[in-house]
Parts: sequence; C-alpha cells; structure tokens
Amino acid sequence: MSSYSLSRRNLLQGVGAVGAAAALGGCATATKSSAGTQTGGAVTLQSDLSSPLAEKAMQALVAAYGKQSKHSLMLNTIAATTYQPLLPTYLTSANPPDIYTWYAGNDADHYSKRGLLLDVSSVWNTMGNYPPAFKALSTDASGKQIFVPTSYYWWGVFYRKSKFAEWGLSEPKTWSDFLTLCQTIKSKGVTPIGLGAGTGNAWVASAWFDYLNIRINGAQYHQALLQGQHAFTDPQVGKVFDTWKQALPYFDPNGTAVTWQAASNQLIQGQTGMLLTGAFFADAAPKGSLDDLDFFKFPVIDASVPDAEEAPTDGLFASAKTGNSAAVLDFMTWMAKPDAQNMWTQTSSGTVIPANPQAATPTSPLAKKGQTMLAGASALTQFFNRDSSDALQNTANTALTNFLQNPGKLSSILSTWQTQAEQVWKTA
Amino acid sequence: MSLATTPAQPALNAAAQRRTRRPRRPRRGGPLRPTPVIITFVLVPLLVESVSVFWPAIQGFYISLTNWNGVNAPTFAGLGNYRRMVSDPVFHKALTNTALWLVLFGGISAAGGLGCAMFLQRERRGIAIYRAALFLPVVFSLTATALMWQTLYQPNGMINSMLSTVGLGGWQHAWLANPHTALYAQIVPALWREIGYVMVLYLAGLKGIDPALYEAAKVDGASPWQQFRNVTLPQLRSVNAVVLSVIVIDSLRSFDVVWALTQGGPYNSSQLLSTYMYQTAFVNTDFGYGCALAVAIFVLAFGVIVGYLVRAFKESD
Repeated sequence: MSSYSLSRRNLLQGVGAVGAAAALGGCATATKSSAGTQTGGAVTLQSDLSSPLAEKAMQALVAAYGKQSKHSLMLNTIAATTYQPLLPTYLTSANPPDIYTWYAGNDADHYSKRGLLLDVSSVWNTMGNYPPAFKALSTDASGKQIFVPTSYYWWGVFYRKSKFAEWGLSEPKTWSDFLTLCQTIKSKGVTPIGLGAGTGNAWVASAWFDYLNIRINGAQYHQALLQGQHAFTDPQVGKVFDTWKQALPYFDPNGTAVTWQAASNQLIQGQTGMLLTGAFFADAAPKGSLDDLDFFKFPVIDASVPDAEEAPTDGLFASAKTGNSAAVLDFMTWMAKPDAQNMWTQTSSGTVIPANPQAATPTSPLAKKGQTMLAGASALTQFFNRDSSDALQNTANTALTNFLQNPGKLSSILSTWQTQAEQVWKTA
Repeated sequence: MSLATTPAQPALNAAAQRRTRRPRRPRRGGPLRPTPVIITFVLVPLLVESVSVFWPAIQGFYISLTNWNGVNAPTFAGLGNYRRMVSDPVFHKALTNTALWLVLFGGISAAGGLGCAMFLQRERRGIAIYRAALFLPVVFSLTATALMWQTLYQPNGMINSMLSTVGLGGWQHAWLANPHTALYAQIVPALWREIGYVMVLYLAGLKGIDPALYEAAKVDGASPWQQFRNVTLPQLRSVNAVVLSVIVIDSLRSFDVVWALTQGGPYNSSQLLSTYMYQTAFVNTDFGYGCALAVAIFVLAFGVIVGYLVRAFKESD
C-alpha cells in the first residue's frame, strides 16, 4: 500500500533528521583526541555577529587586518541561534575553526576546563593598560588567560528625561527613593515599570533577579549561587523575592505578555515610566528619541553591600587545536589594540564601550555615563546566562515568569527552581 | 516425489519445467539470479538510507543511553535518562500537551479539511480563488506567520481589541502569556496552516470517486447524509491513511509555531515533546536526555501510525 511506504519514509526522515544532528556530535566525540596537524594557511574567524550591520563591521575589520598583516584571515559568519548550540561541536571537532567571537566569564571557563581553549597569556602581555577586572574575567580556573575582551556594555534603569521633568522627578539613589518614585508615576496614571518578558523574551526578567541579588547579597554570593554553591531555596534568595514583591505593584501587569520590543516602544511613547534594560536598548530606539533618553544606576538596597554592576563583555577566544597559533595570537593582539576597537565601536550606534581604555571614548553622553558607572563599580557581573549557562537561564525563565504571575506561590516556585537547577549542574 | 527416484531424470525434468514456466519466472523467482542492475538499484538507496537515516537513528538511540553535554566524552548511563523521564514533571506536561495537540489539532484539521474539500469540490466560477485562499497559509514562511500571530495575540493586539469592540471585553486575555490559554492560542495558527493542506489531500481523494456511485445511491433514494456516510467516507479510506500519517507526523513535529511564539512558556505550560526535546538537546546541550526524548517521540509516532495501519489492513481483509 503506497500510503504505508509514504508514512514510513516520512517518519524515518523525521527521525533521521534528529539522529543526523546527534551523529554529527557523535563524530565529534569520536575524533576528539586527534589534534589538527595543518600548519600555516588561512586562519578562520568564526563569528556569531550575524546582524547585517555587525557582519559588515566584522568584514571591514578583517579586511583592515589583512592589509597590514602577513597572515590571512577568513571570516565565517553564522546565525547566532545556530552558533550557540554548535559551539561545543566546533570546539571538540578534529579540525576546529581557529578563533571565535564569544562571551567572557563562566562560559569560556567551562570550555577551558576541558582543555579546549588556547592559552592567550602572550596576548595579555601586550595588554598592560587593561583594568585588572578584565584580566580576572579572562583568566580561567588554572590561572592562564584564555579570552581577549573587545567591547562591553552596561545595564541601567532607562527613562525619558522629559517625562521625569514633567512629573518633577529626579534619579533615585536608594530602594526607598525608588519605591516613592514608582508611587508618584503611578499617581500620574502611568505604569511605572515596563518589563517586556513576553513571547520568547522571558530572559529579560532575570536582569531584575541579578540586580536585586547583587544589591542585597553581593556579587560574590550571586556568582556562587549561579555556580551551584548555594541553593535557590536559601533565605538570602527569599529576601531577594521579598524585596521584589515591594515593587511588583508598579510593574506592567502585562509585563510577561508583551515582547521586549513592545516594552521599549511603551517607554519611548510614555506609556511606561522606566525600563531596566541593557544599552542595546538605545540601538533600537528611533534616532529622534535618543536625546530624550537617560538611565540611572540600579538603586542601592543595602548600603553595606559594595555596588557591583552588570557589564556583559564580548570578545574572542581560540581553539587549543589551532594549527597556526602564531597567526591566531597575532590577530588577537591586533584586536586588543585601540585602532581595531575604535573601528568596531564606530560602526555601532555608540552604545558599546571598547575594552581597551586607550581606545576612543564613546562620544554619546549615554555611553559616557555608562562607562563612568562601570568604572566606579566594585565588581562586574556578566548577566545571568553568561555567569551560569543557557540551561540555567531556562530554569530562571520558568521560575521568574511564574513568580511574576503568581507571587503567592513563591516557596513552591523556588523549590522547583532548585530541583531543575540541580539537574543542570549535574549535567554540566 | 517421483522426480527424486532416479538421478538422471530430474535434470531433464527440471529443464522441461523451466521451459514451461518461463513466462511466469519473474513471479516465482526460483533459479533466477538478480542482475547487477537490480542489485545496484537496491543497494545504492539502501546505502544512502543507511548512512543518512538508519545510522544516525542508531547513534541517536545510543546517545540516549549516555550522559553527554557535547564537550566531555559521553558516559554510559544505561536507562538513566528514561528513568528521569518518569519523574520529570515537565516531560509529563509535554506529553499531555502533545496528546491534547494530537487530538485537537489532528481532529479539527481532518474534519475541517474534509469539510472545506466537500464544500469546495464542485467546479463553480471563481472556486479556485477560495481554494487558493485556504491553501495560501501553507505557502507562507513560518517565521512571518509566527510574527503575524504574535502581533495579533499581544495584550493590546487585534484579537483583544476586536473582543472589546463587540462587547466581549471580559474575554480578553494575554493569550500567549496566560498558562491556561497559551497552548490553545497556538493550536489556532497551526490549524490555520494545516487545514488548507489537508483540504488539498481530500480534494484529490474526492475527485477520484466514481460519480456513478453517487448516481446509484441517488437512484436508491439515499439522503445527502447517507451518501456521505456510505459512499464518500468508505471511498476515502486510502486518503484517510495518508491524512492520518501526515497529521500525526505534523502534530508530533509541531515545533515551529510553539518555538516561535512561546518557546514552551510561560513556565513550561505550552511545552510539547518536540519543543522540550529541542530545548533540552540544543539549548541546554543535555544531549543524552534530549535523545531519550527524541526516542520517546519516535515510539509515539510509530505506535500511533502502526496501530492505525494494522487496524486499516484488518478491516480491508
């Protein structure tokens, strides 16, 4: 019967597609021990910067490097959504690409523990002018440098200057100032706090968790918690949520329904008063509204806890199995210099800050303010997923969305979160 | 038996038999050796299929028996991943949702597709426009479709404003963010796409029915319902098998809509087996458990389809 063979074939193809991905991985594990033998030749730069603007900027960078170097470099841009799940496969394959764009911190350390990343300490010898915080962030557990930061950005509570002036408000410094300010905005008939954690953007809610935890329990506790050294059922974490509950009445009731794009529009149109978001928000804002935008540092909750800030840092690492480490290190050294970083930051709308302190300071007042804020921070964190893993981010998305919708179920939400997180730490 | 009595005769006899049987030889096989061409025709697809389908499937099954995060070497875990499934509340939710999805999505798209096909089967002026309109969603890119539905479902989107316009403001929901509506809200776009596809399958089936059967039924005084019940449905049996397979496969891999709209959220309330498998394997890079989930999906799909086909064959016997 023809229908039988048709269905069987479709079925097997479906299963095959799943299996094919698995087999690719399987091959990778099988050939893991054999090192790349090729020397010389073009070096591959694997990039997940796939937005048209960013890709163009990377092409320009690679071309500029090629002009002044004897080594040749090939750019390979891959969609960010594909890049992330394939990164382990790239790194464990027998002949991996040489250089990768990625994040600093725990994620890089995770690969370094398995001996997959190239020691770039020699690049760091040329980077004496970088702040020690960057060096610490680029150093793995065994004490060698494995990452070269190129740029970073900041998070803050964004608002519209004209609206704050209209309401007679100024930037709050403390949590109680902040709550009073929320009350004032609410009395003007405007939703004080936008969120935008709807339809696939649930991760933005973890910015609130990060900041509350950093301000209440400190950056060290926060990072240890994300590494599994504390439990989400700890009273310290309970305190984070109790504080969050004080602000919940001022949150957009549709905060878990609207997309992040919609939430940023709401702020720009004056439908919400504030939005805790990353500097990339200014990239998305229409040119005309940029001058009216400003941000303030997340308010202080416990004055005895030193201020840490979120500063997600982007940069490069390289495969330990590269066949041409001279070229790899040469390119990374070049990327650490002010000229290359200037080229890179000029192409963005001025909201990323070059990692090299000698690179041109960003010209936009927003970026200047961001840079000053981060320079004064006692410690820098990366963001929930960068300080832990994408798997743990998923458990946070589940827990935080549930909390925002059902704050009354907090204790069961936290115990579920802990169970799921333990599974993640066990698998990692 | 008599052939075996003397040694000389059998050869002769066999030769004679061969001569007389020659016209029927291809059916009986016997001493015929397959030609190299036939061997090639069998072996090449088998080889392609083995490399591209069977081998990866076996690999996938093997990985489901390991703990593997894509970076470390996999460690053998026996049935650990399957045991984990038993006590995993998200898996239970995903399984229930997939069953619900199969029944609602499958049932409505089969009924709706057949209904539309019956309605649009007669050739009238301009009928092609209606058929094309119903089939159009199949052609659209899914990313675009998802964006469109996401906009419709926003709290201040078109669906909520339409509800308030007609005085049903109390029915407004944050459709995709409410754990009670998220799954159903996503079945709608999936149906919107599937009905047109099933309709085309049924239209082809309806075209294949001999009009004489209807004439005979009319002569016997059959009502339109009786014609449908006793002529149309039995005649569509072979199409039904195709439609069922398509629907089961499509609902078990209904991944795109859900991944684009909610990624299984809010808090796993609209998680399907397919989205959970993807999230586990490719976002959490927990390949062992991800493959175990893939195996569960395979067993389910295979079970449903084989179950139906066994029944269908029994009936036709």
